[in-house]
Amino acid sequence: MKKALALMLTVSMTALAFPAFTQAEAKDYKIAMICDSSINDGGWGAACYNAMVAAAEENSWTFEVTDSIAQNEYYESIVSYCSLGYDIIYAPGNQYTDAVLQAAEEYPDVAFALLNGAATTPDEAVNGNVTSLLPNAQQIGWIAGALAGLMTKTNTIAFIGGMELDTTLGKYQGYAEAAKYVAEQDGREVSVLDPVYAGSFDASDKGIEFAKAMMDNGADVFFGDASAVDSGARQAIDEANKAAGEIKVFDIAQPADILGQNECIICSQVTDNSAMISLCMKGVEEGTFGGETIYGTLQNGGLSAGAISDLVPAEVQDQYKEYLQQMMDEKFMA
Amino acid sequence: MSFVANLLLATVRMAIPLLFIAMGELYSERAGMVNIGLEGLAAIGSLVGFLVSFVTGNNWIGILCGALAAIAVNMIYAFATIQLCANHTVYGMAMNIFAPALASFIYRVYFGKGSDLSQIQLMKGIAIPGLKDIPFLGDLLFNQTPMVYIAFLLVIFTVIFFKSTRAGLNYKAVGENPKAAATLGIDVIKTKYLACVICGALAGIGGAYLTTCYSNTYTEGNIAGRGFIALAAVIFGRWSGGGILIACLFFGFCDALQIRLQVASIGIPYQFFQMIPYLATVLALSIIGGRKLGPKASGKPYRKEER
Amino acid sequence: MGKLRKSLTGVVVPLLSILLAILIGAIIMLCLGANPAVALKNLVIGAFGSKPNIGTTLTKSTPLIFTGLCACFAYKCGVFNLGGEGQFIVGSIAACYVTLTTGITGFPAMLLAMIAGAVAGGIWGFIPGILKITRGQNEMIISIMFNYIATLLMGVIYTNWLRDGSVPQTAAVPKESMLPRIVTGMRMTWGFVIAIVLGILIYYFLYRTSAGFRLRAVGLNPTASRFNGFPVKRFILISFIVSGAIAGLGGSVELLGTQYRLINGYASGYGFDGVAMALIGQLNPIATIVVALFFAALRAGATTMQAATGVPTSVSDIIQALVIVFTVAGMALTQLPEFTAFLQKHRREEAKKA
Repeated sequence: MKKALALMLTVSMTALAFPAFTQAEAKDYKIAMICDSSINDGGWGAACYNAMVAAAEENSWTFEVTDSIAQNEYYESIVSYCSLGYDIIYAPGNQYTDAVLQAAEEYPDVAFALLNGAATTPDEAVNGNVTSLLPNAQQIGWIAGALAGLMTKTNTIAFIGGMELDTTLGKYQGYAEAAKYVAEQDGREVSVLDPVYAGSFDASDKGIEFAKAMMDNGADVFFGDASAVDSGARQAIDEANKAAGEIKVFDIAQPADILGQNECIICSQVTDNSAMISLCMKGVEEGTFGGETIYGTLQNGGLSAGAISDLVPAEVQDQYKEYLQQMMDEKFMA
Repeated sequence: MSFVANLLLATVRMAIPLLFIAMGELYSERAGMVNIGLEGLAAIGSLVGFLVSFVTGNNWIGILCGALAAIAVNMIYAFATIQLCANHTVYGMAMNIFAPALASFIYRVYFGKGSDLSQIQLMKGIAIPGLKDIPFLGDLLFNQTPMVYIAFLLVIFTVIFFKSTRAGLNYKAVGENPKAAATLGIDVIKTKYLACVICGALAGIGGAYLTTCYSNTYTEGNIAGRGFIALAAVIFGRWSGGGILIACLFFGFCDALQIRLQVASIGIPYQFFQMIPYLATVLALSIIGGRKLGPKASGKPYRKEER
Repeated sequence: MGKLRKSLTGVVVPLLSILLAILIGAIIMLCLGANPAVALKNLVIGAFGSKPNIGTTLTKSTPLIFTGLCACFAYKCGVFNLGGEGQFIVGSIAACYVTLTTGITGFPAMLLAMIAGAVAGGIWGFIPGILKITRGQNEMIISIMFNYIATLLMGVIYTNWLRDGSVPQTAAVPKESMLPRIVTGMRMTWGFVIAIVLGILIYYFLYRTSAGFRLRAVGLNPTASRFNGFPVKRFILISFIVSGAIAGLGGSVELLGTQYRLINGYASGYGFDGVAMALIGQLNPIATIVVALFFAALRAGATTMQAATGVPTSVSDIIQALVIVFTVAGMALTQLPEFTAFLQKHRREEAKKA
């Protein structure tokens, strides 16, 4: 009898302790980022990394990153983190789509946050554990293009891409149509050079050469979607401006506000990746993650224009802000 | 006109790092040392050159340290191939795996997990008064960074050295017939080590040029095959200073053209233009035949006395 | 004496090199403030710690085994084929075309793709071979040039000719044409088995058949072989073609079993890695396989090590490079006349004592 009582006591205590135990040891959530460019590329990689760090600090997650990985190693790197028990794999770029889908099929318990994933990608994941973070590429292009159209003196603007991704093409198209529209309102005609692609995100030397060649073709406002390649382009633009003795070729940066990093930067298109990652983290904590597309737009605060340089005359700034307001009100180019 | 001028300017930009690296290989092969580890030597030179310039703010110290670092790495190759008679190609290959790994490691340890872009001040160009005003050629040849002038002077010096100096002929003898050279009283081992020092220095400078005179940031893998193109340039240039200069300018031209054709969206895949250096080298070798040119004892081990 | 030296170079030198390289790696970790024991433990866990991890290691070893065997076969026959990477890539390209454009699927597609891969690799090996025997060219330089040509050709294919969708890459091999996995939950496919079987076949051919003996004789001493009436030039060409075909087959296996698509960075470095595997394995096909497994483990474990201890993966690269540096130097050392003399002296003294 005593024995039975002791047994019952033990069982009930264990039963009581068990949930308490699991609760006391609050799960230590971990997020890992993979990136093909370097995280100190002064552009895309740095911005995406900082966004993850900010979100991780806000939600007290631990984080890890592997950068400068080759394209054929996307999958390997993702899977390594999966097998280490990471909760979210954060892959900032459309180019990771196939690797993410492949890994997501094999690791159903891991959450995958794919920045710039297509709206249809979450449905392709058989385990429903992929979420697309999708800043509106057209609006990103508009934000840069409207300013480019206002600022160009040669009426020629340029765009440098890393890879021919759908989202990159979307940004280019938005950039081109906004610049043309804005110039039209002033009675000018802007020509947009065909986009060029460096084939990778870390070939800063190609950025230099592309920018020089495009300046030779008359381009005087640049926008890009190519990480370290953009940094190379900005270097070439700064050099050209120095040689000319005045800053007359401009660059618009993205996706973080880096005004002041280079002389030629007149404004940045800013994407609030950190807010979107935060949403993913909350989803994982609450067990509701996956299968959705989180949009980033001007309207929901996911996208915005950063600080504007003094190189932009006050009246142009006013004009630009007016256009931004039109975009916000969905009246731009309408 | 401006298209051509700008294309030629880009050609010189692309050719200079190749020229340094290829000249290093020339000095190496002339002493019988075939070094295919140029890619690795340039990688470590590039990283150290950038790092030291970043810390000291002085490009010259950066380039010097880049050269020293590449010499140090090349001494491993020198010791193994000269002293231990290890296979040159195999060892060069080992260096190509080792040196970039070392460079990547140093970069990661120094810059850590930071996300700040590290930029340095590039070396300033110096226009040569008078000459720079020559139309067309002025900008191309006389309005460049000092490193460009050094590269061209190096070519002139090399041509004279190997053609008409006693020391140069002795040096060449080591690559042609080391045994005969030794009987003439030439210190073969010392010459071979000297060759490795020169090769390391020049390949390191070629790499450092990319990060101190060309791009103000460092990215991993920035050598991007230039070591092997330089190797091709030495063959294509038929082991002579002038020939190598022409080869490097030609290969640089292909690269510059490739970029411009992409901007002009011609529609021909740009990779075909990038193939030209390799195809040209294979073709040149096929036409002139392999064994007739170049140092005869290249890549062969030298033993003081056969026991 | 000969036997002693052989066993020394064969086993002791690579083992010592590995130990030395790991020791230096440990010192580097210590300098970084990491505990080398913990880091190395994580390296091993990453490589062998679980079923999927072992699968990854074996998967990573497969292409290295193929390029290693390619180098092994060529060197044994006296031709310095440094073009394993190019031959591997054209093999992948051929397999890619077969699986994506012919409409054939399933087992016939696999078989056809592998044959096509081997043929393409053989042709890519034929070029430097024929240039060597007809024009007397340096086969190492030519085969390196052809590596770059193959890489760029692959670039044209995945950015233009066979590009699929917005990312510059080809479409994936259709599911039914992928090499099946051996065990569920482990990534390695029958490609790994093909690699092992091929290694054994090559070993058998080189050491147990008369044709293999003749090829080795040409490799060992071409002049003597010529006097013995062997058609040396033809043998050299055959060696090039066969070693190219081995690499080409490896390329098709890699495409069908692991990567599924041509993509930027595909196969980068595999050729030189293969040469290193073969040399560390003393040009023995079986030893080459073991070395390839070791290197694959270092690679597979590196990411786990970085994630767990913050030791960058480049430390693993440095260890790998040092193994090559030390082994090649060590082997050269044991072949020096001075070293042979030292051993002989040592042996005489031993004999005296006895």
